[in-house]
Amino acid sequence: MKRKVLVLSMALLLMVSLLTGCADTKGTQTPPASKGNTTGTSSDKFKSRTIKFLSVWPEDDKNSNGWIISELSKQYGETVDGFDLEYEYVAIDQLDQKVKILMSSDDLPEICTYESGVRLKQVIQADMIIDVEKTFTELGIRDCLDEGAVSLLKNLVDGLGLYCVPLGMNMEGFWYHKGLFEQAGIEKVPETWDELLEACEKLKAAGITPIVQGGSDNWPMTRVLNAYLVRSVGLNAVQDAVTGKRSFTDPEYVAAAKMFQDMAKKGYFAEGMNTIDPGTATSMLMNGQAAMNYDGSWKASNLNSEDNAAGPEGIGFFNVPVVNDSSTLLDYSMNCGNILMFSKKKYDDKVADWMKFVFPKLGDFAMQETGSFKGFAISKMPEDTTYYTQLVAEHLAKAQNAFLWFEAKMDSETSTIAQNSISLLYTGEITPEDYMRMLEETAAKSR
Amino acid sequence: MERVLGDKKAIALMVLPALIIFIVIIFVPIIWTFVYSLFSGMPGFKFEFVGFSNYIDMWSNKQTVEAIKMNWKYIFFVTPGQVGFGLLVSLMMYFSIKKYRTLSRTIVFIPTILPTVAVAQMFAKMYEMVPNYGLINALLDLVGLDKYIQPFLGQPNTAFGALVVMDIWTAIGFYTVIIYGALVDIPHEILEAARIDGASGVKLFTKIVFPMIRTIMITCLVFSFTGTIKLYESATALTKGGPGFATTSMTMNMYQNAFLFDQYGYASAVAILILIQCLLVTFIINKISREKY
Repeated sequence: MKRKVLVLSMALLLMVSLLTGCADTKGTQTPPASKGNTTGTSSDKFKSRTIKFLSVWPEDDKNSNGWIISELSKQYGETVDGFDLEYEYVAIDQLDQKVKILMSSDDLPEICTYESGVRLKQVIQADMIIDVEKTFTELGIRDCLDEGAVSLLKNLVDGLGLYCVPLGMNMEGFWYHKGLFEQAGIEKVPETWDELLEACEKLKAAGITPIVQGGSDNWPMTRVLNAYLVRSVGLNAVQDAVTGKRSFTDPEYVAAAKMFQDMAKKGYFAEGMNTIDPGTATSMLMNGQAAMNYDGSWKASNLNSEDNAAGPEGIGFFNVPVVNDSSTLLDYSMNCGNILMFSKKKYDDKVADWMKFVFPKLGDFAMQETGSFKGFAISKMPEDTTYYTQLVAEHLAKAQNAFLWFEAKMDSETSTIAQNSISLLYTGEITPEDYMRMLEETAAKSR
Repeated sequence: MERVLGDKKAIALMVLPALIIFIVIIFVPIIWTFVYSLFSGMPGFKFEFVGFSNYIDMWSNKQTVEAIKMNWKYIFFVTPGQVGFGLLVSLMMYFSIKKYRTLSRTIVFIPTILPTVAVAQMFAKMYEMVPNYGLINALLDLVGLDKYIQPFLGQPNTAFGALVVMDIWTAIGFYTVIIYGALVDIPHEILEAARIDGASGVKLFTKIVFPMIRTIMITCLVFSFTGTIKLYESATALTKGGPGFATTSMTMNMYQNAFLFDQYGYASAVAILILIQCLLVTFIINKISREKY
C-alpha cells in the first residue's frame, strides 16, 4: 500500500512540475501600464487604448513611412490620455505570411501594412477590413486623400472600393545620369523606344553601361519588360492577359519578352545585372557607373542625400518612351507603394479619433519632413523643395492616365513565376516564348 | 526507493507524462500535417478536402519536380563533400599535425558557428562581379584568366556550384570535430599493432581506422543528409532560390506554396514527401551499414 502511495505521489509530483513548467505565466503577471497613462487617474488607465501597427518600415528611419506614422501618433498621444501605439516591425518578405496567419486567426491589428492589388482583394472579400471611403466620409476627412491615389487604389482591386490608404504616390520611369548622356553625345532624352535603343547604342560605344537594374530582386527587371509591353500593347496589357481576354503567348506579348532579351544580348544592361541589388543599382547610377535606371519616384530620397555623387541636379528623369500610339507620354506607370488597411473587428471610436488626427496631417507632414508624396492632399509645398522633389511633382502633375506594374494583377503564383523566370530570360537560359508560355500556363490555373 | 524503481509499473507511470508530451510534440504535428495534405487551399479560406490529389499533382508541378531534382543533386554533392572533407581534415589533424591540434581544430570549427546569413553575405561578396570584382573574379583577373570572369550567382549552373561550395565549407568543421573525436577514441595499441604488422597508409585506414569510426561516420552521414534535404537558409540567403528556380529546394518550394501561393494543403503534402525521404534514406543508411559490418 505504501509503495502504491509513493508511486502515485511521485507521478503526481512529476506531472504537476511538468504542467507548472509549461504553464503560461502571463496570467499571474501585473499588466504593464501603458506609456500614456503614467499621469492619468485609475479611470484613465481603464480607458487606455493601445493601437497596434504592423509595419514593414523601420520606426527610426526618418525617410520611412513607419517614422511618419510613428511621429504623428506621438503628436496625437500628446493630445489624449491613455493612447499608445504598439509598433511591430516585420520584414517586407515576411509580410504576406504574417498577414495571412493573422487573417486565419481573425486577429488583424488595428493598423496593418499590406500590398494593394490581388492580395488586398482577398482581405476585402474576407470582410476583415473597413471601407476606408465610407469611414473617412463619416469622419469628415475624405478630402485629405489625393484623388489620383484613390483612383489608382480602386483600380487595383478591380473597383471593389477604397479599403486602404496610400502611403506613397509614386510614378516610375527612367532616371538618367546627365553627365554620361552628355559624354555619349545624347542631346535629348528618348521619347520613343527606338530613341532609347539608339541612346543605349551611343552609350555602349562610349564605353558606358547604358542601363542598370537591381536585378537580384527580379521586379526591377520585369518593370523594363512591362514598360515595353504597355507601350506596345496598351495600358491594360497585363490585366487583359490575366483575365483571359488576351493571352501571354500572343505575338505582341512575346515580342516584349524578346525586346527585353535582345537588349540584354546587345549589352544594353549591366553585365551580371541579375546579381545586383536595387540599392547598388542606385549607387551605380549616382556614381556614374551606369547611365540609366528604371525606378520609381521613391528614389528621390536617395538622390536628395549627400551620397549622390552626381550632385543636386545631376540626375534627370524621363517617362517610358513610347513604342506606338497605344499609349502616350502622359501615361505613367504609377503606384501607391505599400498601403495601410484597418481591422474591421478592432475598429472603434479610439481608432477613428486617431485617424481623424493623423491622416489630415500626413500629406503636409511627409512633404515637410521627407520631401515625399504619400497620396494625401498637400496644402502647401515647402519653399526649399529640392530639384528632385520638384521633378517628381512636375511629372505627377503631367500624368493623365496610369498603368500598373507587371505583377499588379497577377495572382501570387503567376507573379512568382514572372519574377523568378525573368532572370533566366535575361541570361538567355529560356526563350521569350518559354517565358510567356510559363506565365500563360500559370495564369490559366486561376482564371 | 530501490523497490520502487525496480517496479516496471512505477517506471511506466513516471515515464508516461514525458512520453505523452514527447508524442504530442513529435507525432501530433506530423499527423496534423498529413491531414492538411489532404486538403487544398488555406485553412480558413477555401479549405477543401481533396483526398490524395495533392500527392498526385505534385509530380506534374514543374516547380516541385525541379525542386526535388535540385535537392537530390545538392545532396549528391554536399553530403559526401561535407562528410568526406570532414574525414580528410580530421585524419590530417590526427596523423599529420602534431602541434597546435587544439588551435587547428578551433580554426576549422569557426565556419560552423558563423550565422548562415553572415556566411552567405561573405560568399556573395566573394562571387561578386558588379559593381566591383569579388575575391574570385579579382584573382581570375590577376592571373590573366579573364575569360572565366563571370557573375557566379547570376547563372543557374554556377549559382548551384557556388551554393554547394559554401555549404560544404560551412559544415567541414562540424564533421571534422565529430570524426576527430572518434579517431581519438581508437586505442593506440591497436594502431601500433597494425603498424607492427606492416599496415600503413590506405590499408591502415581501410582495415583498422574506418571500421573503428564506422558508427560515427554513419551518424555523420545521417546528420548531413537530414541537413541537406532541409536546405533552406543558405540558399535563401545566397541566391534566393535563383536564378529562376535553379537553387530552389523542396523546403523552399514548400514555403512558397504555403505562404506565397496560399496552398497549405499542397505544401503539407510536400512536407510529408520530405519526411518520407528522410525516413527512407536514414533507414537505408542504417540497413547498409548493418549488412556490411
